[in-house]
Amino acid sequence: MSDYDVIVIGAGNGGLMAAARLAKKGVRVLVLERHNIPGGCATSFCRGRFEFEVALHQLSGLGTEGYQGPLWRMLASVDAIDKLDFVTMTDLYRLQLSGTDLDITLRPDRQQLVADLQAKFPHEKEGIQKFIDFSYAYFGEAIGAYYMQDPDAGPDKYPLYFKYALKSAQDVLNEYFKDPLLKFVIAPYWSYIGVPPSLMSFHDLVSVIVGYCEFKPSHIKGGSQALSNAVVDTIIQNSGTIRFSNGVKKIIVKGGVVQGVITEKGEEITSRIVISNASKISTFVDMMDSKDVPAEVTREMRQISIAQGALVLYMGLDCPPEAVDIKESTNFVFGTDDYDRAYQQMKNLEVTNEDMMLMSCYNLVDPGFSPEGTSQVAVVTLKYGDTWLQVPPSQYAAKKYECADVILNRLAEFYPNLRDHIEEIEIATPITSMRYLGTQRGSIYAYDHFIKNSDHFVRNQTHIKGLHGVGGWFGMIGFQPTLTSGVVAAKNVLKELN
Amino acid sequence: MKQEAIEQMEGYADIVREIDIAVKYGEDFSGEKGTVQQFINRLHPKRLNMTVSEVIEETPSTKTFRLVNPEGPLPPFQAGQYVSLSIEVDSIKTSRAYSIASAPSETGYFDLTVRRMEKGLVSNHLLDHVRAGDSLIISGPQGTFHHNPIIHDDTLVLLGGGCGITPLMSMVRDTIQSGLQRTLYLIYGNRSGDDMIYHKELVQMAEKHANFNYIPVLEQPDAGYQGKTGYITGELIKDIIGDIEGKSFFICGPQAMYNFCLPELKKLGVPKRKIRKEMFGTPINIWEYPGWPEAVKPHQVCTITVNGENKLEAVASESILVTLEKNGLVIPTICRSGECSLCRVKIMSGKVYQPQGTLVRKSDRHFGYVHSCVTYPLEDVDILL
Repeated sequence: MSDYDVIVIGAGNGGLMAAARLAKKGVRVLVLERHNIPGGCATSFCRGRFEFEVALHQLSGLGTEGYQGPLWRMLASVDAIDKLDFVTMTDLYRLQLSGTDLDITLRPDRQQLVADLQAKFPHEKEGIQKFIDFSYAYFGEAIGAYYMQDPDAGPDKYPLYFKYALKSAQDVLNEYFKDPLLKFVIAPYWSYIGVPPSLMSFHDLVSVIVGYCEFKPSHIKGGSQALSNAVVDTIIQNSGTIRFSNGVKKIIVKGGVVQGVITEKGEEITSRIVISNASKISTFVDMMDSKDVPAEVTREMRQISIAQGALVLYMGLDCPPEAVDIKESTNFVFGTDDYDRAYQQMKNLEVTNEDMMLMSCYNLVDPGFSPEGTSQVAVVTLKYGDTWLQVPPSQYAAKKYECADVILNRLAEFYPNLRDHIEEIEIATPITSMRYLGTQRGSIYAYDHFIKNSDHFVRNQTHIKGLHGVGGWFGMIGFQPTLTSGVVAAKNVLKELN
Repeated sequence: MKQEAIEQMEGYADIVREIDIAVKYGEDFSGEKGTVQQFINRLHPKRLNMTVSEVIEETPSTKTFRLVNPEGPLPPFQAGQYVSLSIEVDSIKTSRAYSIASAPSETGYFDLTVRRMEKGLVSNHLLDHVRAGDSLIISGPQGTFHHNPIIHDDTLVLLGGGCGITPLMSMVRDTIQSGLQRTLYLIYGNRSGDDMIYHKELVQMAEKHANFNYIPVLEQPDAGYQGKTGYITGELIKDIIGDIEGKSFFICGPQAMYNFCLPELKKLGVPKRKIRKEMFGTPINIWEYPGWPEAVKPHQVCTITVNGENKLEAVASESILVTLEKNGLVIPTICRSGECSLCRVKIMSGKVYQPQGTLVRKSDRHFGYVHSCVTYPLEDVDILL
């Protein structure tokens, strides 16, 4: 008999969700986590009197108790809803463009969104209404054809989905709008996916916008660490085992079948099923002998390219958000209205005037997010990690400060007093995510989400009996998608075990 | 979706062509084997096998251990950071955090300066038994007690107490050796003249460098001592540095020093964001800390049950971590001051004491996780590792 029925490598969103679902079904599950704390990206760290949220910006798909979204039901299924407190955000985002007076705030509500856009762009009034109606109609079809996996899906039943799912977001925006500034205002969420509207699918952009309008963006009290801890609690209560500071060195495969794992400490643990929440490259290149890697996987890996990491400034301010003019919880600042240029900037080491910035401040919706009279702010600038690998170790700290300095100078255009109130600051780079997530080049978005890498074309099957993948490297990125990947993996594992 | 359905999506054929090209010219990630760890090891190695190249006697009770890395270059650090030293003494595998006293520009070695602590398991062992040529295991450099140009001024007021001087010494050496455009005031408090570490070197540096001001303060000075005496009061600080504007404060010393000096700085009007305080190890007299229940005597005996199996005998005044180590249960540790959370464990049942200011995450508190290095059993407890 195997030591465990299932071994989960990594306590990220996908790994934890899979483990909790399995533990609740009485499966003997072991989670092995390299770090001392669960969550992967869904974690926090303390500095001075602040506890910084690492990765969660706007939780999608939750809804409310009265209007439950898919994530609500998913969390309820692992008893996590009662262990958590949520806050609904009142803004989609505030968007500002350097050097211009463009400053618009959009709300997560279909009618309001149309009205606010029309007020700002009266010359495109009709197009705005049509675009939003069309987006909803498209998304309605996508739910059936794609999310619910209708076996009868075809162009006759779902004409919009089959026509538009593989189109670029930019193509569809061009179809509906003339004013380039309007297209700019509608599409900043491309930075949640990592590739600009010209390279991402219309589907990915519209699912973010419609998803937030329907179920509202949310925030978790205590941050994403609370979510991770809540799911761990369910695993423990259902007799699952979780071992921290216990990394996996190797997945044992014999004749194309999983046998178990060997930990970094050299311990061999057997199981028929292994679920990997590690990066796809770590799973197949680091933890497996090349002879065991199926040809299909090798081919699929050549198809993908590694996505961005991020420069993140985690800041604790010694004043409330109003004191530094922060009015919304999610704030995009772009240096150019040309998203292709902003995307190209992500490939350079240096931060320039054309880099994007996303500033989140949850105190606006959750005053208890940091001690009274203070606020917590995270500023994200996406950057490919390649260039950071070239920085000599002796220059690393200086480079971090230099980049942070440019980012803060740029923010000063809109938030002139912010810098004078920083009590704590921690600067994360792609090297930081490489250290804590173990991802190649510090990627936080797994692989580039070009249209060709959507899951119609990257199927994320492991082609090894007993091996399952969860998390952003085996599907879509973000909290809701990675948690969903855990649910799907648990379902497949249960089938396999029976 | 089914493959037949996908093939009916508009644009499918173009994408398949794109994929064929990507596969042909795409990156072969087989070259990535082990690269993440190799790269991270250059900056943040978990473990370094060091050799003691020299032992320098600083004071009758203090020695500096100069450590070199026979296996390759040392990782960089920022002046003020520390390493965790892992060691086995009397069959107990344990660790201690020591600040690096040398400057980051000294890329050949790390200096760790260690003072003998009364009944100190590790300090006594190091001072009495470790010699040049011996091996010592340390972690990579850690910690946030360092100058950060984004928020700190170029004029630093360094307040050191006893062997709390060590991270500040690195900052002083860094400024002098790298010719940084900074002005430093080092106010160094000690009980008596014998306790002052690096005194001669500091005097010499202050004589040579106008941007470095060295002000020793003695509580019980010998006859003939000319310098400042008493405690490091706000008044004394103000006399030395004048206006507090444009100055950042770094403080490192025993708890008694924080208890005294932090309110003094507050009285001077120094905002919180201008003060950086180093954690300084496990308290030795935890039962004297605020909130410790009077009814619990320091030597009260209880049982710690680990993972529902091992039953360990414990005393209230010893942290859960120490009890684990005494019983051969080694868990990862770095700071041993309640800050880094590496020694995090879950309390399943039983009352424990944690001093105020321990940096435990909100949801960790909610779900019963503690940092075992600064958590004390007040009764029988069950823990989960």
